[in-house]
Amino acid sequence: MGSFKFLGLTFNIANVISITVTFIIMALILIIFSRNLKERPKGLQNALEWLIDFTNGIVKDQLSGDEGSRLGLYAFTLFVFIFISNQLGLFIEISAHGVDYVHSPTASPIITFTMAMITLAFAHYLGVKQKGYKKYLSDNYLKPFIAMLPINIIDEFTNLLTLALRLYGNIYAGEVLVELLAKMAFSHGWITIAVSLPLEMIWQGFSVFIGAIQAYVFVTLSVVYVSQKMLPEE
Amino acid sequence: MNSQLFLLSLGDFDLGDMLFYVISFILMIWLVKVFAWQPVMKIMHDRENKIADNIDSAAKSKEDAEKLVSQREEELAHSKKEAIQIIDQAKKTGKEQSEQIIAQARVDAQDIQEKASADIERERKEAMSDVKNQIANLSIEVASKLIKQQLNVNDQKDLIDSYIKELDEDD
Repeated sequence: MGSFKFLGLTFNIANVISITVTFIIMALILIIFSRNLKERPKGLQNALEWLIDFTNGIVKDQLSGDEGSRLGLYAFTLFVFIFISNQLGLFIEISAHGVDYVHSPTASPIITFTMAMITLAFAHYLGVKQKGYKKYLSDNYLKPFIAMLPINIIDEFTNLLTLALRLYGNIYAGEVLVELLAKMAFSHGWITIAVSLPLEMIWQGFSVFIGAIQAYVFVTLSVVYVSQKMLPEE
Repeated sequence: MNSQLFLLSLGDFDLGDMLFYVISFILMIWLVKVFAWQPVMKIMHDRENKIADNIDSAAKSKEDAEKLVSQREEELAHSKKEAIQIIDQAKKTGKEQSEQIIAQARVDAQDIQEKASADIERERKEAMSDVKNQIANLSIEVASKLIKQQLNVNDQKDLIDSYIKELDEDD
């Protein structure tokens, strides 16, 4: 396990490098896409605006009012970050002496947990801000009646777990299969390469699709959780 | 990672990764906001406003044009009406004038006729009186001739009587 300690904290080398790579790719893409913005959109600006409209649409489906406008930026950043993270491991998979250096950041549970935690912390923060502590507590934990309190508390943890593990499971499984197919390809010479190559290509294509779907699902559920905390209980 | 399962990796809890991810994510949100989000949102809002303005102004132009058209139509109808009125007026005036002229001519003709007949009457009377005078003179001449030829007392007496008789009858 490639890891190092810094200021008493454990860092996984693969995760740190992967996040940095994702960060750089995303920053480059967005900065390149957002050059020469004009009122009459053209080329890359169209793509960027389409993406922003797409994530705004996810937010608007749940929160149509003013609350939604504050969530747009978060949803957009999250979506692009997860999408790029999901694709990263499909094409760049660097490992040496049994130690990973670059993979999908989202194929690591610690990262997906962090994402889910950010989302839920954000949801709770916005909930308190929107409703005030008293109403937030009673709406979240004492509805529909007080006896539901333990279940409501467990619910918060299941939200966190399902959100994190769904993404992790999908992407990790995808990566494992990519690696297994790669190992199979080099196990018995040319024959296995000929068999594995199309399989690998098919699986990578499918994984691109899965990565997009999972990014969409993660963002949609994030917005749903936030809206549950923000909107008044029916 | 490839040989590790999820539970094992939770075993050595990589708190540093979480921190690293959180910081990079917050940094990324800031980057997105500055470089992509705010400019794009601004452009989109500007465009939205521009389109809304265009639609509004188009609607206004249309309304103005319609108003202008109806105004023009109204004016046209008005001027048509006015033209008809003017023609009618002219016709009426012409008729009145012609009637007046005819009436005047009638009156004039009547006057001339009356004057003419008066003249004729007067001339006739004059002529009559002339003839009367001439007859009187002639008869006096005849009478004086007759008297010169044969005048006795008796005849003269008869003659004077007959004259007086005649004069009486005349008056």
